[in-house]
Amino acid sequence: MTAQSLFYWSLAVTALGLVIIGLWGVLTRKNILRIALAFTLADTGVNLILVWSGFLPNRTAPIIDSSSITSVVDPLPQALVLTSIVIGVAVAALFVVVGVLASRKSGSADIRRMKELRW
Amino acid sequence: MIRTYVGLIIVLALAAVVISAVPGFSVPSELPYIGQNYAEQGVHDTGSINLVTAVVVAYRGLDTLGEVVVLFSASTAIVLILTLIPIGAHPTPPSSIVSFTAGVLPGAIVLFGIYIITHGHLSPGGGFPGGAVVASAFLLVMLGSNTIPGQSKMLASIESLAGLTFGLLGFWGMMTLGQFLNNLVLPAGSPGKVLSAGIIPLISLAIGAKVASELSGVFASYRKSGGAE
Repeated sequence: MTAQSLFYWSLAVTALGLVIIGLWGVLTRKNILRIALAFTLADTGVNLILVWSGFLPNRTAPIIDSSSITSVVDPLPQALVLTSIVIGVAVAALFVVVGVLASRKSGSADIRRMKELRW
Repeated sequence: MIRTYVGLIIVLALAAVVISAVPGFSVPSELPYIGQNYAEQGVHDTGSINLVTAVVVAYRGLDTLGEVVVLFSASTAIVLILTLIPIGAHPTPPSSIVSFTAGVLPGAIVLFGIYIITHGHLSPGGGFPGGAVVASAFLLVMLGSNTIPGQSKMLASIESLAGLTFGLLGFWGMMTLGQFLNNLVLPAGSPGKVLSAGIIPLISLAIGAKVASELSGVFASYRKSGGAE
Protein backbone atom coordinates (compact mmCIF):
# COMPACT_ATOMS: atom_id res chain seq x y z
CA MET A 1 0.00 0.00 0.00
CA THR A 2 1.57 3.25 -1.08
CA ALA A 3 1.55 6.41 1.02
CA GLN A 4 -0.98 7.97 -1.34
CA SER A 5 -3.59 5.24 -1.00
CA LEU A 6 -2.96 5.12 2.75
CA PHE A 7 -3.83 8.83 2.92
CA TYR A 8 -6.87 8.32 0.68
CA TRP A 9 -8.33 5.49 2.75
CA SER A 10 -7.49 7.08 6.09
CA LEU A 11 -9.75 9.97 5.08
CA ALA A 12 -12.60 7.50 4.52
CA VAL A 13 -11.93 5.74 7.82
CA THR A 14 -11.98 9.08 9.67
CA ALA A 15 -15.32 10.04 8.13
CA LEU A 16 -16.82 6.59 8.81
CA GLY A 17 -15.50 6.78 12.37
CA LEU A 18 -17.35 10.07 12.91
CA VAL A 19 -20.58 8.45 11.70
CA ILE A 20 -20.00 5.46 14.03
CA ILE A 21 -19.32 7.69 17.05
CA GLY A 22 -22.42 9.77 16.25
CA LEU A 23 -24.75 6.78 15.83
CA TRP A 24 -23.36 5.18 18.99
CA GLY A 25 -24.05 8.39 20.88
CA VAL A 26 -27.61 8.57 19.54
CA LEU A 27 -28.19 4.96 20.67
CA THR A 28 -26.65 5.13 24.12
CA ARG A 29 -26.83 8.68 25.52
CA LYS A 30 -29.72 9.72 27.74
CA ASN A 31 -29.50 13.51 27.80
CA ILE A 32 -31.49 14.80 24.83
CA LEU A 33 -29.06 17.63 24.07
CA ARG A 34 -26.19 15.12 23.94
CA ILE A 35 -28.26 13.07 21.51
CA ALA A 36 -28.61 16.20 19.38
CA LEU A 37 -24.82 16.71 19.52
CA ALA A 38 -24.19 13.08 18.53
CA PHE A 39 -26.67 13.47 15.69
CA THR A 40 -24.81 16.49 14.28
CA LEU A 41 -21.55 14.53 14.64
CA ALA A 42 -22.97 11.71 12.49
CA ASP A 43 -24.25 14.36 10.06
CA THR A 44 -20.73 15.80 9.74
CA GLY A 45 -19.35 12.32 9.12
CA VAL A 46 -21.84 11.71 6.31
CA ASN A 47 -20.90 15.04 4.74
CA LEU A 48 -17.21 14.09 4.94
CA ILE A 49 -17.89 10.76 3.23
CA LEU A 50 -19.68 12.61 0.41
CA VAL A 51 -16.81 15.09 -0.03
CA TRP A 52 -14.32 12.21 0.06
CA SER A 53 -16.23 10.41 -2.70
CA GLY A 54 -15.33 13.23 -5.09
CA PHE A 55 -11.74 13.52 -3.89
CA LEU A 56 -8.83 12.69 -6.14
CA PRO A 57 -5.24 12.70 -4.85
CA ASN A 58 -2.93 15.54 -5.91
CA ARG A 59 -5.70 17.74 -7.28
CA THR A 60 -6.97 21.17 -6.20
CA ALA A 61 -10.32 22.84 -5.52
CA PRO A 62 -12.73 23.04 -8.49
CA ILE A 63 -12.05 26.68 -9.27
CA ILE A 64 -10.85 27.15 -12.83
CA ASP A 65 -8.48 30.09 -12.93
CA SER A 66 -4.85 29.28 -13.53
CA SER A 67 -5.13 25.57 -12.94
CA SER A 68 -6.15 23.53 -15.95
CA ILE A 69 -9.29 21.43 -16.04
CA THR A 70 -7.28 18.22 -15.56
CA SER A 71 -6.16 19.16 -12.04
CA VAL A 72 -9.45 19.72 -10.19
CA VAL A 73 -11.54 17.39 -8.04
CA ASP A 74 -15.18 16.52 -8.72
CA PRO A 75 -17.40 19.59 -8.04
CA LEU A 76 -20.68 17.63 -7.85
CA PRO A 77 -20.29 16.00 -4.37
CA GLN A 78 -19.15 19.34 -2.94
CA ALA A 79 -22.28 21.03 -4.28
CA LEU A 80 -24.43 18.27 -2.77
CA VAL A 81 -22.67 18.67 0.59
CA LEU A 82 -23.31 22.42 0.53
CA THR A 83 -27.01 21.56 0.36
CA SER A 84 -26.63 18.85 2.99
CA ILE A 85 -24.89 21.17 5.49
CA VAL A 86 -27.65 23.79 5.24
CA ILE A 87 -30.39 21.18 5.70
CA GLY A 88 -28.40 19.70 8.58
CA VAL A 89 -28.29 23.06 10.35
CA ALA A 90 -32.05 23.49 9.92
CA VAL A 91 -32.79 19.98 11.23
CA ALA A 92 -30.40 20.41 14.18
CA ALA A 93 -32.05 23.72 15.14
CA LEU A 94 -35.49 22.09 15.04
CA PHE A 95 -34.12 19.13 17.05
CA VAL A 96 -32.80 21.44 19.78
CA VAL A 97 -36.06 23.42 19.98
CA VAL A 98 -38.18 20.29 20.35
CA GLY A 99 -35.66 18.84 22.82
CA VAL A 100 -35.68 21.97 24.99
CA LEU A 101 -39.48 21.98 24.94
CA ALA A 102 -39.65 18.31 25.97
CA SER A 103 -37.15 18.81 28.78
CA ARG A 104 -39.08 21.83 30.10
CA LYS A 105 -42.24 19.77 30.09
CA SER A 106 -40.82 16.79 31.98
CA GLY A 107 -38.53 18.85 34.19
CA SER A 108 -35.38 17.07 33.06
CA ALA A 109 -33.31 16.55 29.93
CA ASP A 110 -33.18 12.80 30.65
CA ILE A 111 -35.12 10.90 27.99
CA ARG A 112 -36.06 8.18 30.51
CA ARG A 113 -38.22 10.72 32.32
CA MET A 114 -40.13 11.88 29.23
CA LYS A 115 -43.47 10.13 29.51
CA GLU A 116 -44.53 11.40 26.07
CA LEU A 117 -41.87 9.24 24.42
CA ARG A 118 -43.42 6.00 25.75
CA TRP A 119 -46.27 4.11 24.23
CA MET B 1 -23.51 -0.54 30.83
CA ILE B 2 -25.14 -3.28 28.79
CA ARG B 3 -26.76 -0.57 26.71
CA THR B 4 -23.32 0.85 25.86
CA TYR B 5 -21.99 -2.47 24.58
CA VAL B 6 -25.16 -3.37 22.70
CA GLY B 7 -25.08 0.03 21.00
CA LEU B 8 -21.41 -0.48 20.13
CA ILE B 9 -22.12 -3.92 18.63
CA ILE B 10 -25.04 -2.60 16.54
CA VAL B 11 -22.98 0.31 15.22
CA LEU B 12 -19.94 -1.84 14.44
CA ALA B 13 -22.17 -4.31 12.59
CA LEU B 14 -23.53 -1.44 10.51
CA ALA B 15 -19.95 -0.29 9.80
CA ALA B 16 -19.02 -3.81 8.70
CA VAL B 17 -21.96 -3.81 6.27
CA VAL B 18 -20.81 -0.46 4.84
CA ILE B 19 -17.18 -1.59 4.49
CA SER B 20 -18.20 -4.82 2.78
CA ALA B 21 -20.17 -2.75 0.24
CA VAL B 22 -17.05 -0.85 -0.90
CA PRO B 23 -16.47 -2.06 -4.47
CA GLY B 24 -12.69 -2.04 -4.59
CA PHE B 25 -9.72 -0.68 -2.73
CA SER B 26 -8.12 1.26 -5.54
CA VAL B 27 -7.48 4.99 -5.59
CA PRO B 28 -9.28 6.69 -8.50
CA SER B 29 -7.27 8.97 -10.75
CA GLU B 30 -9.92 10.09 -13.25
CA LEU B 31 -13.05 12.19 -12.79
CA PRO B 32 -16.34 10.34 -13.37
CA TYR B 33 -18.31 11.25 -16.48
CA ILE B 34 -20.49 13.99 -14.97
CA GLY B 35 -17.64 15.60 -13.06
CA GLN B 36 -15.46 15.57 -16.17
CA ASN B 37 -18.28 17.21 -18.12
CA TYR B 38 -18.69 19.94 -15.50
CA ALA B 39 -14.94 20.56 -15.42
CA GLU B 40 -14.71 20.90 -19.20
CA GLN B 41 -17.94 22.78 -19.93
CA GLY B 42 -18.69 24.60 -16.66
CA VAL B 43 -16.93 27.90 -17.31
CA HIS B 44 -18.22 28.02 -20.87
CA ASP B 45 -21.81 27.17 -19.89
CA THR B 46 -22.20 29.44 -16.87
CA GLY B 47 -19.34 31.97 -16.85
CA SER B 48 -18.58 31.06 -13.23
CA ILE B 49 -15.01 29.96 -12.52
CA ASN B 50 -16.08 28.37 -9.23
CA LEU B 51 -17.53 25.09 -10.47
CA VAL B 52 -19.26 24.30 -7.16
CA THR B 53 -21.26 27.52 -7.42
CA ALA B 54 -21.92 26.75 -11.08
CA VAL B 55 -23.44 23.39 -10.10
CA VAL B 56 -25.37 24.74 -7.10
CA VAL B 57 -26.86 27.86 -8.69
CA ALA B 58 -26.90 27.23 -12.44
CA TYR B 59 -26.97 23.50 -13.30
CA ARG B 60 -28.99 22.49 -10.22
CA GLY B 61 -30.70 25.82 -9.57
CA LEU B 62 -34.11 24.21 -9.14
CA ASP B 63 -32.73 21.93 -6.38
CA THR B 64 -31.34 24.99 -4.64
CA LEU B 65 -34.77 26.59 -4.81
CA GLY B 66 -36.14 23.47 -3.11
CA GLU B 67 -33.39 23.65 -0.50
CA VAL B 68 -34.31 27.25 0.25
CA VAL B 69 -37.91 26.09 0.72
CA VAL B 70 -36.77 23.36 3.18
CA LEU B 71 -34.76 25.93 5.16
CA PHE B 72 -37.76 28.26 5.11
CA SER B 73 -40.15 25.61 6.44
CA ALA B 74 -37.72 24.55 9.19
CA SER B 75 -37.21 28.14 10.38
CA THR B 76 -40.96 28.80 10.18
CA ALA B 77 -41.61 25.71 12.29
CA ILE B 78 -39.04 26.81 14.89
CA VAL B 79 -40.46 30.35 15.11
CA LEU B 80 -44.01 28.95 15.28
CA ILE B 81 -43.19 26.46 18.08
CA LEU B 82 -41.30 29.06 20.09
CA THR B 83 -44.12 31.58 19.70
CA LEU B 84 -46.93 29.17 20.64
CA ILE B 85 -45.12 27.36 23.49
CA PRO B 86 -42.70 29.68 25.32
CA ILE B 87 -39.65 27.80 26.64
CA GLY B 88 -39.12 30.25 29.49
CA ALA B 89 -35.70 31.59 28.51
CA HIS B 90 -34.61 34.80 30.17
CA PRO B 91 -31.56 36.70 28.89
CA THR B 92 -28.65 36.88 31.29
CA PRO B 93 -26.54 40.07 31.33
CA PRO B 94 -23.51 39.65 29.03
CA SER B 95 -19.97 39.74 30.36
CA SER B 96 -17.94 42.87 29.62
CA ILE B 97 -15.85 40.99 27.03
CA VAL B 98 -18.93 39.99 25.03
CA SER B 99 -20.59 43.40 25.25
CA PHE B 100 -17.36 45.18 24.18
CA THR B 101 -16.82 42.76 21.27
CA ALA B 102 -20.43 43.18 20.21
CA GLY B 103 -19.78 46.90 19.91
CA VAL B 104 -16.64 46.56 17.77
CA LEU B 105 -16.80 43.51 15.51
CA PRO B 106 -20.26 43.34 13.83
CA GLY B 107 -19.42 45.89 11.11
CA ALA B 108 -16.38 43.91 10.01
CA ILE B 109 -18.30 40.61 10.18
CA VAL B 110 -21.14 41.97 8.02
CA LEU B 111 -18.62 43.33 5.50
CA PHE B 112 -16.89 39.92 5.36
CA GLY B 113 -20.26 38.22 4.88
CA ILE B 114 -21.17 40.54 2.02
CA TYR B 115 -17.76 39.83 0.43
CA ILE B 116 -18.40 36.08 0.65
CA ILE B 117 -21.90 36.49 -0.86
CA THR B 118 -20.86 38.70 -3.77
CA HIS B 119 -17.77 36.63 -4.68
CA GLY B 120 -19.54 33.27 -4.65
CA HIS B 121 -18.80 32.67 -8.34
CA LEU B 122 -15.10 33.55 -8.00
CA SER B 123 -13.94 31.98 -4.75
CA PRO B 124 -15.28 29.52 -2.16
CA GLY B 125 -18.47 31.02 -0.76
CA GLY B 126 -21.86 32.08 -2.01
CA GLY B 127 -25.23 32.81 -0.54
CA PHE B 128 -25.48 30.11 2.13
CA PRO B 129 -22.14 30.57 3.96
CA GLY B 130 -22.21 34.35 3.49
CA GLY B 131 -25.73 34.56 4.88
CA ALA B 132 -24.67 32.50 7.90
CA VAL B 133 -21.75 34.89 8.50
CA VAL B 134 -24.06 37.94 8.39
CA ALA B 135 -26.47 36.19 10.77
CA SER B 136 -23.59 35.51 13.17
CA ALA B 137 -23.03 39.29 13.42
CA PHE B 138 -26.71 39.64 14.35
CA LEU B 139 -26.30 36.89 16.97
CA LEU B 140 -23.27 38.68 18.44
CA VAL B 141 -25.20 41.96 18.75
CA MET B 142 -28.06 40.12 20.44
CA LEU B 143 -25.77 38.29 22.90
CA GLY B 144 -24.03 41.57 23.73
CA SER B 145 -27.20 43.36 24.76
CA ASN B 146 -29.37 42.81 27.79
CA THR B 147 -32.68 43.52 26.10
CA ILE B 148 -35.23 41.36 24.34
CA PRO B 149 -35.64 42.18 20.64
CA GLY B 150 -38.97 43.84 19.90
CA GLN B 151 -41.50 42.96 17.26
CA SER B 152 -40.02 43.78 13.86
CA LYS B 153 -41.54 43.22 10.45
CA MET B 154 -38.20 44.01 8.79
CA LEU B 155 -36.70 40.49 8.94
CA ALA B 156 -39.88 38.90 7.58
CA SER B 157 -40.10 41.41 4.72
CA ILE B 158 -36.42 40.96 3.76
CA GLU B 159 -36.95 37.19 3.78
CA SER B 160 -40.09 37.34 1.65
CA LEU B 161 -38.53 39.81 -0.78
CA ALA B 162 -35.43 37.62 -1.20
CA GLY B 163 -37.51 34.50 -1.84
CA LEU B 164 -39.66 36.41 -4.33
CA THR B 165 -36.51 37.65 -6.10
CA PHE B 166 -35.21 34.08 -6.48
CA GLY B 167 -38.53 32.96 -8.00
CA LEU B 168 -38.83 35.95 -10.31
CA LEU B 169 -35.26 35.47 -11.58
CA GLY B 170 -36.30 31.93 -12.45
CA PHE B 171 -39.37 33.16 -14.33
CA TRP B 172 -37.24 35.74 -16.16
CA GLY B 173 -35.33 32.86 -17.75
CA MET B 174 -38.65 31.19 -18.59
CA MET B 175 -39.98 34.31 -20.33
CA THR B 176 -36.88 35.13 -22.40
CA LEU B 177 -35.09 31.83 -23.02
CA GLY B 178 -37.91 29.36 -22.37
CA GLN B 179 -36.15 27.65 -19.45
CA PHE B 180 -36.78 28.12 -15.72
CA LEU B 181 -33.74 29.57 -13.92
CA ASN B 182 -31.69 29.79 -17.11
CA ASN B 183 -28.45 31.42 -16.06
CA LEU B 184 -27.67 33.30 -19.26
CA VAL B 185 -30.52 35.83 -19.32
CA LEU B 186 -27.72 38.21 -18.38
CA PRO B 187 -24.47 37.96 -20.38
CA ALA B 188 -21.84 35.59 -19.02
CA GLY B 189 -19.24 38.34 -19.28
CA SER B 190 -15.56 37.61 -18.88
CA PRO B 191 -15.06 34.80 -16.35
CA GLY B 192 -13.14 35.92 -13.26
CA LYS B 193 -14.75 39.38 -12.95
CA VAL B 194 -17.23 40.22 -10.19
CA LEU B 195 -19.86 41.34 -12.70
CA SER B 196 -20.00 38.16 -14.75
CA ALA B 197 -21.59 34.70 -14.75
CA GLY B 198 -25.11 35.73 -15.70
CA ILE B 199 -27.61 35.87 -12.84
CA ILE B 200 -25.44 33.87 -10.39
CA PRO B 201 -24.42 36.99 -8.37
CA LEU B 202 -28.07 38.12 -8.16
CA ILE B 203 -29.23 34.69 -6.97
CA SER B 204 -26.35 34.61 -4.46
CA LEU B 205 -27.50 37.97 -3.11
CA ALA B 206 -31.09 36.72 -2.80
CA ILE B 207 -30.01 33.49 -1.06
CA GLY B 208 -27.66 35.41 1.23
CA ALA B 209 -30.37 37.87 2.30
CA LYS B 210 -32.82 35.01 2.83
CA VAL B 211 -30.47 32.82 4.89
CA ALA B 212 -29.27 35.78 6.98
CA SER B 213 -32.81 36.94 7.80
CA GLU B 214 -34.04 33.40 8.50
CA LEU B 215 -31.22 32.52 10.90
CA SER B 216 -31.52 35.94 12.58
CA GLY B 217 -35.25 35.32 12.99
CA VAL B 218 -34.55 31.95 14.63
CA PHE B 219 -32.06 33.54 17.08
CA ALA B 220 -34.47 36.37 17.86
CA SER B 221 -37.35 33.96 18.51
CA TYR B 222 -35.17 31.91 20.91
CA ARG B 223 -34.44 35.11 22.83
CA LYS B 224 -38.04 36.31 22.71
CA SER B 225 -39.56 33.02 23.88
CA GLY B 226 -39.57 34.21 27.48
CA GLY B 227 -42.78 32.74 28.81
CA ALA B 228 -44.27 33.19 32.26
CA GLU B 229 -41.24 32.27 34.35
